[in-house]
Amino acid sequence: MWINMGPQHPMTHGLWNLRIKVDGETIVDAEPEVGYLHRGIEKLCENRTYTQIIPIADRLCYGSSLTWSHLYCLTVEDLMGIEVPPRAEYIRVASIEMQRIASHLMWLAAYAADLGAMIGFIYTMRDREVFIDLLQALTGSRITYNFPRIGGVAHDIPPNFERDSLRACDYMEKKLKEYEDLFDGSKVFMMRNQGVGVLRKEDAMNLGVTGPPLRGSGVKYDLRKDMPYSVYPEMDFEAATHPDCDCYARYRVRMDEMFESCKIIRQAVQKMPKGKWRTVAPRNAPAGTGLGRVEDPRGEGMMYVVGDGTDRPYRLKIRSPIFVTVSAAKKMLVGYKVADVVAIMGGLDMCIGETDR
Amino acid sequence: MGERGTRSLVEGMEKPASRIDDVPEEKVIRSLLDNFPATVTDFKKLRKGVIRARIERRDLYRCCKFLRDHLGFEHLSMISAVEYDKRFEIVYHISCYGSCLLLELITSTPKDDPSVDSVASIWGGANWQERESYDLMGIKFNNHPKLERILLPKDTLYHPLRKDFKGGG
Amino acid sequence: MGNVIVFRSKDFVKWADGVLEGALRRSPIGSGVDYLTKDFFNWATRNSIYPLHFGIMCCALEMAVASAPRFDAQRFGIIYRSTPRQCDVLLVNGPVSKKLKPALRRLYDQMPGPKWVIAMGECAISGGPFYNSYSVVPGVDQFIPVDIYIPGCPARPEALIDGFIKLQKLIKENKKGLLTGK
Repeated sequence: MWINMGPQHPMTHGLWNLRIKVDGETIVDAEPEVGYLHRGIEKLCENRTYTQIIPIADRLCYGSSLTWSHLYCLTVEDLMGIEVPPRAEYIRVASIEMQRIASHLMWLAAYAADLGAMIGFIYTMRDREVFIDLLQALTGSRITYNFPRIGGVAHDIPPNFERDSLRACDYMEKKLKEYEDLFDGSKVFMMRNQGVGVLRKEDAMNLGVTGPPLRGSGVKYDLRKDMPYSVYPEMDFEAATHPDCDCYARYRVRMDEMFESCKIIRQAVQKMPKGKWRTVAPRNAPAGTGLGRVEDPRGEGMMYVVGDGTDRPYRLKIRSPIFVTVSAAKKMLVGYKVADVVAIMGGLDMCIGETDR
Repeated sequence: MGERGTRSLVEGMEKPASRIDDVPEEKVIRSLLDNFPATVTDFKKLRKGVIRARIERRDLYRCCKFLRDHLGFEHLSMISAVEYDKRFEIVYHISCYGSCLLLELITSTPKDDPSVDSVASIWGGANWQERESYDLMGIKFNNHPKLERILLPKDTLYHPLRKDFKGGG
Repeated sequence: MGNVIVFRSKDFVKWADGVLEGALRRSPIGSGVDYLTKDFFNWATRNSIYPLHFGIMCCALEMAVASAPRFDAQRFGIIYRSTPRQCDVLLVNGPVSKKLKPALRRLYDQMPGPKWVIAMGECAISGGPFYNSYSVVPGVDQFIPVDIYIPGCPARPEALIDGFIKLQKLIKENKKGLLTGK
């Protein structure tokens, strides 16, 4: 018997449908169904100029929107062959890592609320506001920023940005230790996460899973270290991995990533050189192709743009990490109980905006 | 031909590495040229770690199997479909975890027969990406386990990303 | 053996409406009860608005943040419920695609009256940045009647709370007795 969980379901953050076939309480088959949020962005982009697409790229994944507009700007800069000034690169890296922490905190809030620990939602949302305030001072907006430009960033950092970011990092590291005590010390949380939703290493690599689910299965592959872009080669940090392949490993990888992001923010803000923050890009792009690849908080994001000499792209293709990770849902769900669906699918940190485009 | 190719590759790996072998991009290009001389052409190194090559669509499945089994390209990142005036081009981005390389493999099909072999049995991650290319661009993938629409409602009649679809721009 | 009356459920509802409740409603007892309790029930309704747990896109993040400690919508009595059968308000906070349209209409039909609809964000009001896309319905008021529009892209949490307060004013102005409906 097939049961529909969704599209309106308190567990599904975003609109997607999970059809599961159950035998008693155990799941024997699963099939996710997406497409309820399809907006036709790839067709829309063929009729907008390169600068007009930046706010649309923000709305691809609204949980971490700076990553997507930055990825789009990287792709078009590859197509046009523009050099970005160093100060802009450091501002971009600092803001992306703040966005990464905010995105992981949002994930932790929803995850804890779904598993029944409402206190997790309250604490993490309070701490996320610290980083949202910093990003609002930098860019002017709370979630969809429209901040990177082709050739740099829109404007310079506000006064006292360095002091506020260092204070925020110190505050966050104290709070992260509190969260570890709160969640790791809770027997119920551990029981619901350890041994649940096991995805073996070979399956993860073959099914195209990337990001924290891949690193939680023991594969040490982080695009910021292995195929670095921007000024990541000059930053000193570790890629977080964990050898158990279950939900607890994915949770642990994200907590470690937040610690590493605090380190990167400190280095980026303190090493920022002086200079320009933007080079003006030409209006028309040459004929050719451009490729951009970043480490999104949810996995590997890629964009492929084909230019034809005009000021609009001929084709823009977007690779969404969650689109491919969700197709691996069947491997992770079969054999577990219906009540485990929340922990397993919640641990993937799904953002349906980028899945459906 | 294939037998001789694989044996020479194994022999090459047992010999001490020459200066060319130190550069992993050159190693991949050389082994692709050795094993698929007629069908894989037009190599270009785009930037550090990124190679582009063109392949004819009749040899796509064999080449992808060779890439996964012998050269260690375990991860298929992206399948894109682009429509030009007289052809469709399907671009595969395949990456290798071990040596941190990205291979951009481009194959083209004529306008009236947009179909290629499916690589969903080689890389499981290709399953949904091929369904999406079918849904939005109308490319048919032979031997796909379940080629159905995924993003649009199941009874849609058009393929929106085609250039002759005037709507939604 | 006395008289046995057999009803189908639809006929029973009609009979009860006509004989039991209808009589009460049409008599002066009905309007008297309404006159006495109308203000109290209206106060209770507007101070306990239960929206549906339904998040579509970016404005849904701001909806979640509105329940977070900084903005705290719960002090207005706003508690999110998971099933449409227990909700008053349908909060539409994102673009509605053609695949979602029948599901959303069905959710609206499953909610019991009295019910209200709030369109939050530009995408729900008119399609937003995706207004000319092939798969987005330009505005949710094409198939659902909307009471409150909250502009913004994304609408800030303060704007959402302001929208709820305006909804409370709207409920206060349209006071209706529960029995007679007047």
